[in-house]
Amino acid sequence: MTVSCRTAQPMKVRALDEGSLFVNDTGRFFLASDAFAQRLHDDALSQAETDELRLQGNIIDPDDDFSLHSHAYGIAERLGGANSLDYLILVPTLRCNLDCSYCQVSRAGVNQRGFDWSDETLGGVLRSIDELATDSIKIEFQGGEPTLRPDLLRTIIERCERFAHKQFVICTNLQNLSADVLSIFDRDDVYISTSLDGSIAMHRMQRTGPLTDAFLDNLSSLTARYGPGKISALPTLDPRAPADIDEIIDTFSAFGLTSIFLRPINFQGFARKRHKQSREQDEGWRSYYERFVRRIIERNWLDKSSVLEESYFSICLRRVFQPGADRHVDLRNPNPVGVDYVVIDYDGTVYPTDEARMLARSGVIDLSIGDVQTGWNTPERLALNEASTNQFDPSCTVCAYQPFCGRDLIDDLARYGRVDIERTETEFCRKHLHIFDFVFEPIYSQDPAVRYSLAMWLRLPAIPEQLGVRIS
Amino acid sequence: MIPLSLQIAAEPATPFVTRLRLRPNDHTGPNDHIGETDHTGEADALFVEDDDGGTLFAGREGLISIDGFAGHQLSGDVLLVDPGAGRAERLLRSGSAHNTLLVTERCDQLCVMCSQPPKKTHIDRFDHFEKACMLAEPGSVIGITGGEPTLYKPRLLDLIEAVLTERADLEFHVLTNGQHFDLADVPRLRAPLYRRVSWGIPLYSHVPATHDFIVGKQGAFDRLHDSFSALMQAGARIELRTVLTSTNLHDLPALSHYVAARLRFVESWSVMQLENIGFAKNRWSDLFVDHAADFTPISRAIDTSLLHGIAIRLFNFPRCTVPRAYWALAPASISDWKRKYPPPCRDCRERDLCSGFFEWHPDEQAGVRVTPL
Repeated sequence: MTVSCRTAQPMKVRALDEGSLFVNDTGRFFLASDAFAQRLHDDALSQAETDELRLQGNIIDPDDDFSLHSHAYGIAERLGGANSLDYLILVPTLRCNLDCSYCQVSRAGVNQRGFDWSDETLGGVLRSIDELATDSIKIEFQGGEPTLRPDLLRTIIERCERFAHKQFVICTNLQNLSADVLSIFDRDDVYISTSLDGSIAMHRMQRTGPLTDAFLDNLSSLTARYGPGKISALPTLDPRAPADIDEIIDTFSAFGLTSIFLRPINFQGFARKRHKQSREQDEGWRSYYERFVRRIIERNWLDKSSVLEESYFSICLRRVFQPGADRHVDLRNPNPVGVDYVVIDYDGTVYPTDEARMLARSGVIDLSIGDVQTGWNTPERLALNEASTNQFDPSCTVCAYQPFCGRDLIDDLARYGRVDIERTETEFCRKHLHIFDFVFEPIYSQDPAVRYSLAMWLRLPAIPEQLGVRIS
Repeated sequence: MIPLSLQIAAEPATPFVTRLRLRPNDHTGPNDHIGETDHTGEADALFVEDDDGGTLFAGREGLISIDGFAGHQLSGDVLLVDPGAGRAERLLRSGSAHNTLLVTERCDQLCVMCSQPPKKTHIDRFDHFEKACMLAEPGSVIGITGGEPTLYKPRLLDLIEAVLTERADLEFHVLTNGQHFDLADVPRLRAPLYRRVSWGIPLYSHVPATHDFIVGKQGAFDRLHDSFSALMQAGARIELRTVLTSTNLHDLPALSHYVAARLRFVESWSVMQLENIGFAKNRWSDLFVDHAADFTPISRAIDTSLLHGIAIRLFNFPRCTVPRAYWALAPASISDWKRKYPPPCRDCRERDLCSGFFEWHPDEQAGVRVTPL
C-alpha cells in the first residue's frame, strides 16, 4: 500500500503487529499508530509532527533544491553499486575426495580425468586477472575440492601480487591438510570456508561418513592455529529435519565459530524432481529460523563473552540501516550478473553465479554467459540483466521493503524457469517478506536482550536508546 | 608550543618563498622523487653553517640567517620569508601532518566562539602559498583556513587546481563556512582532482535560527544548504563540523537524525569540543559545556550516526573524559603545535592516541579533569 499527502513524500506502508511501518524510497522509516496514519492520510498533522517528519527526511519540498537532491542522493545510495569486476569465483577442479548425499552434480570422482583446468583455461584465467582495472581483488576458490590442486591455487594467488587489497577464500572440505596446502592457508590474505552441518552426527551422515574424525581433527587444529576470524563454516541443513538448535550452536561454538549462516539444502536436478516440496521452504522452516535467531539472542545475553549471529539476519538488518554497507551479492538491487563478479568453471565456462553453474550441471537450464577465452560481454548476459532490478516491478514498487530488498533472477529461473512470474508468488519474495517482518519486530523491541544483540550485529559500540523512530 | 614564526635576517627587499635543505640533491630529502616541479632546486636555500645564535642558509635570494635554531631542525621546511619584517613563517613544516595556510583573515560570519576572530583587511598572499604548495613534502595534506577562504573563491580554486594538477600526490583540506558555493560551481568542482579536496564545513544545529545565532548571520543556514546542494551535486567531499557550546549541546541528538536523514552525502561528521581562544576565551563560562558531566546528548548523537552509517568522530575530547565504548572515535585531533598534555597524562597508556588539550586550555580545568588510563 502507498500513502501520499500534500506535505510528505510518497511512503509505503506495511502493517506490523505494533502499528504501521512507513518507509520512503530512501529507506527512512518510522512506526506509527493508526491515529497518526489517519492524520497523515487526512493531511492533518500537527506542526510538531510535520517538523519531526522533516527532520527524519520524510518531507520533501518540491521547491527546495536541497531537499530534492538530498532525497535523490538517498535513493541513489540504496541502488547497489555493481561496478568493475573485482570478484572471481574460480573452480580449478571439479574433482572431490568426498561424495556428499546432496551433491550429485557439482563434483567428479577424485581420480577422474578431464575435470581440471587445462593449460589454456588457466591462461585465460590469468589473463582475466591481469586485465582487471581495480586495485582490489577477491577470489573465491570453489569446487570440487580446490585443495586437490594447490599448484593452481598458488599460481593464481601469486598472480595477484599487484593488487593493493586482496583476499582469497578457499572453500574446502578440510579432509586432507598437506604441508603444501597448509602453507597456502598460512598467508594472512587467505581465508578458509568450510561446511559444518550443524551437528557432528548430521555432518557424518550428510557428508563425511567414516572420514568424519579426520575433518574434525583438521578443523580443530586450524581453529587453534589461526584463532577467530580466519575460518568460517556454513551449516547445510535438511529443512525437513533440521538439527536441534542448541546442538548447532554448541557445535559451532566448540570451534570458536560465532557466525552461523543457516542454509537449507538447495535441491538440484534429480533431487528436485524427487522432492517437489523441496522447491520452496515452508512455514516449518521459517518458524525454525525464527526460533534459531531468538535462541541466539538469549544465549548472547546470558554469555556476553562472544557474540553469536545468524549471518543472513545480520545482512538484512544492516541493509535496513546502512545503505551500501554490504556487498552481499545475493541481496542487493539492482543485481546485474557478470558485472562485478563471475564464476569461471573447471572447463573455462563463465557463469553469473555459483547457483547458475549448478543449474547448468544438473541440466535444468544453461545459464552460462560466456567463456574465459572469448569473454562474457554477450547477448546472454544482456538478456539476463534486463530483469536484474526490482525498481520497476509492480509488486515491488508498492512494497515497504523494496529499498532493503534485492533481486535474484537466477533463483527465479531455478525455481520457475522464468523471470516474469508475479513477484509475490516467488520464493524469493516470500522469504524476504518473512525475514524483513522478522527483522522489524526486534527493531521495535524494548527487551534489553534483543537490543543488545541487535547493537552487536549492527557493529555498534553501544546500545542506542532507540533503533527505529516511533510516532504515536 | 612549536614556533611557527622565525626571527630572521635576509637580503632581498620583497618577501619570497623558499625551502630549507641540508644538502643539494638531498635524496633523503622529501621531494626529490615525486611530483617535483623544482628539479633544479631553484627555490631551495642550502645549509651553510650553524653558529651560536642560530643557523645560516643560502639560496637564490641570498643569505638567510635564522635565530634560535640549528639547521637540521628546519630542514625540509617551506618558509615565507619577509626580510622587511625580519620574520619568516614556517608555512609547511617538514614531517608535520598539521600544516595550514591562512589565506585571509576576513570573514562574513561572526561565530560566537570563533577561535580566529576576523579582521577587516586582507593581505593577498595566494601567489606565495601556491609556490609553497608546489614544494610540499610528498603525500601531504595541506590545510587551508581563514577567515573565510571562499571570499576569494576564484583565486582559491585556481590555486587548488594549479597545485593538484602539478602535484598528483597532494591533498587539500579547506575550512569554509559554506556561504559561497552555488550551482555555477558544480561543473568546475566535478573535475576529478577535487577528489583530493575535502571541505570542512560547520553546521551547529538542525534549527535554522540556532545555527544563524551561533554564526552571527541571518539566513546563514539556508545559504549553507544552497552550498550543500551544489557540493553534493559535484560529488564534493565534505567533513561536517559541529563545535559544542551551551547553545547547541542539547540539539545534538536531533541534529544527528538530521545528518543521518538529510546530509548522508557527508564523508564524516566531526563533533568538536570548544577551543579556549579568540572569542571563546572571554565567553568561556557561558559557552563551555563539560561533556564529562553529562555525556548523554553526545552518546545519543554518536549512536544514531553510527547506526545509520555516518562516520562520526569526536575532536578535542581527551579520552579519559569519554566513555570507553567511544574511545576509538576520539583521535589525537589537536594540531601538534598547539597541543599539550597536563602532567598527570605522563603515565597514561592512551596518551599517544589522545587529543590532549589545546595549549591555551585553562590549566586548572585540564588538570582537574584528567584521569590517566
